[in-house]
Amino acid sequence: MNFLRRLKPSSREGSLAIILLVAVGGTGLINPRFLTGDGTRDLLTSTSVVALLAIGIAPIVVMRHIDLSIASTVGLTAWLIADMSAKNPEFTWVQCFIVGPIIGMAVGVLNGLLVAGLRLPSLVVTLGTLYIVRGLVYVVSNSVDYNAQEMPPSLLDLGQKVFFGLLPFTFLLVIIAMLAVAFFMKYTKGGRDAYAIGSNPPAADLVGLKVFRRTFLAFVFSGFMAGLAGVFYLMRFAQVDSTAFYGQELAVVAAVVIGGVTIMGGSGTVVGAVIGALLVQTIQGGLAALGVDAFWKSAINGLLLIIAIYADRVLAVRNEKQLLAQRIRERV
Amino acid sequence: MSKFTTGFKVRKSWDTAILALLAAVIIMASLTTENFLTALNISYIFSNTSEITIIAFAMLFMIILGEIDLSVASILALGSSMLGWSYAKGAPIWLAIIICLIVGTICGFINGFLVTKLGLGSLAVTIGTLALYRGIANGILGENTVNEFPEFWTSFGFDTFGTSFMPKTLPLIIFFGLVFGILLHRTPFGRRTLAIGQSPEAAKFAGINVVKHKMIVFTFTGFMSGVAGVIYTFRFSTAQADNGVGIELLVISAILLGGVSIFGGIGTMWGVVAGVLLAGSVESWLTLQEINAQWRTIVTGILLLISVAAPVLVAKSKERREFKALKS
Repeated sequence: MNFLRRLKPSSREGSLAIILLVAVGGTGLINPRFLTGDGTRDLLTSTSVVALLAIGIAPIVVMRHIDLSIASTVGLTAWLIADMSAKNPEFTWVQCFIVGPIIGMAVGVLNGLLVAGLRLPSLVVTLGTLYIVRGLVYVVSNSVDYNAQEMPPSLLDLGQKVFFGLLPFTFLLVIIAMLAVAFFMKYTKGGRDAYAIGSNPPAADLVGLKVFRRTFLAFVFSGFMAGLAGVFYLMRFAQVDSTAFYGQELAVVAAVVIGGVTIMGGSGTVVGAVIGALLVQTIQGGLAALGVDAFWKSAINGLLLIIAIYADRVLAVRNEKQLLAQRIRERV
Repeated sequence: MSKFTTGFKVRKSWDTAILALLAAVIIMASLTTENFLTALNISYIFSNTSEITIIAFAMLFMIILGEIDLSVASILALGSSMLGWSYAKGAPIWLAIIICLIVGTICGFINGFLVTKLGLGSLAVTIGTLALYRGIANGILGENTVNEFPEFWTSFGFDTFGTSFMPKTLPLIIFFGLVFGILLHRTPFGRRTLAIGQSPEAAKFAGINVVKHKMIVFTFTGFMSGVAGVIYTFRFSTAQADNGVGIELLVISAILLGGVSIFGGIGTMWGVVAGVLLAGSVESWLTLQEINAQWRTIVTGILLLISVAAPVLVAKSKERREFKALKS
C-alpha cells in the first residue's frame, strides 16, 4: 500500500499510457489494421514530427513560457534544406541533420534573447516570430515547391527505414531524444531549475537561479528540435512548399498539455508529452476509422485540449486539498 | 508609488510617440506615393481595417484585464459560416445576421465560462477554442463557400458613401468606438476594468465582482467578433470556414502598438485607434509601393515585436539614466 502511494505522484504518465492503450485498442476494434505491424508503424511515423516538437517545447512550458514559432521554423528548415539539396547534389542525410538544427537554433536564439533578455512575454514574442519566420519562408521560397526527386536519396531512405517491422528510424530518434531530455529534466541541476522557475518565477529570481541562462537555452533547444523536426518533415512527406506545417503549433501545444505538462508551469514530463502526442494521433486515427470527416479534425484537437486543461485543473485542486489535509493531520 | 507613476509617464510618452509615428508614416507615404492621400485609398484603409478595429475595441478591455482571447478570428469564421449556411438553407438575411451575432455571443460566453467559472488560463483555453470554433466552422461548411448575398448588404460591406473616403461601415465602427470609449473612460465599468488589470487581488478586496466582470468582457468580445464576422462576410461577399485566419494576431499587435500594456492595467481607446490606423497605413503604403504581399507577413511580425519590446526598452533606459543620476 505504501509502495502504491509512493508511486502515485508520477502516475499521470501511467494513466495516460492506459488511456492510450484503450484508445489504440478501441481503434483496433473498428479497424483491425490499426493493430498490425503496419498500423503501428504508420502511427509512429506520423507522430514523430509532433513528438519531436513536443519534446522541444515541454521544458519551455515547464518554465511557464510558450513557443509558438516552432511550426514556422519547421517550414523554414524543411524548405531551406530541400532547396540546398536541390542545388547541391552531393548533399546527403548527414548535411541535412547538421544544417537543419542550425537554422532552427538561429530562430531559437532570437526568441531566447527577446524573452529571456528583455523579459518580454513569450506568447507575444513567439507570435511575432511565428509571423516573421513564416513570412521568410514565403519570401525565400517564391512559390517554388520541391518534390522527392530533388531530395537526397539517402535522406529519404533513412525516412523509410524500419526496425523489426515496427519501429521507424525517426521514432527511434524520438525515443532517444525523449530519454535524454527526461534524464536531464529529472537528474541535473538545469532540469530542476526549470521546474523551480516554472512554479514560481519571482522566487526563482530571488533565490538566485540563473533564470536568463536557463530560459535562453530552453528556447535555443526548442529551436534545435524544430530544425530537426524540419528534417523529419522532409523524410516523412518527401515534398515541401511554403505552407508546410502551417498552423501545426497548436497541435503540438495540445499534445504537450494533454501529456500532463501544465500550461501554468512547474510540472509535467517529457515522457508525458510524447504519450500525449501519440494519444492525439491515435484519437485522430480512431475518428477517421469511425468515418468522421477530416474537416472536424481541428475541432477535435481543440476539444481535447480544453478537456486536458480542465483535467489538469481538477487534479491540481484535488492535490492541493490533499496536501493541505496532510499538513493539518501532521500538525495535530 | 514612484514605480507606478514612472510607468505611467512612459506610457504617456509612448502614446504620443505612436501618434508622431502615425503622422510620420502618413507624410512619408503621401510623399513617396501618389495615391496614398486619395479618397479611394483612405476608404480602403478604413474598410481593410474594419474587422480588426471592431474586434480591437472589445479586445482592449480583455488585455487591460490581463486576459487574452486568441479565438476571435475563429469566432468570426464560425459566425460567418453560420450566416452563410443559414442563408443558403433559406433563412431570411436578417435572421442569418442575428444568428451570426448570437453565435459570436455564445462563443464568447463559453470562453468566459471556461476561464472564470472553471478557473482555466485564458491563453490555453482560447488556443483550444481557436481550434474548436474554426473546426466547427470547417465541419459545417467543409470546402463549400456561400457567396450569393442580397446586394443591399454586400454594398453595405464593400461600398463607400458616393465617392467619399467613408466606407458605409464607418458609421457603425465610429458608433462602437464611441460606445466602448465612453465605457472605458467615463463609466464605473471602465474604472473597474483598469482596477482589475492593475491588481486583481486588490480589486477583489475592494468589492469588485471580478468573475462577473470578466464574464461580461469575454461575452462582449465574442459579440464584437460576431459583428466583425457579419462585416467580413459582406465585404468579401463570401462565407467560408477559413475566413479571417490569423486576424487575432493583427488585432493584438494593433492594440499593443496603441500603447496598451500586455501585462494589463494600462490602455486607452484613442491609443488603440491610433494603433489600428498605423498598422492599416503601413499596410496600405506597402501595397502602393507594390511590395510583395509576402513581405507583409514579416512586417506584421516585426510590428508586433516592436510594439511589445519598445515600451520595455524605453522604460529600461529611463531607469538606467535615473540610476546614474542618483549615483552622481
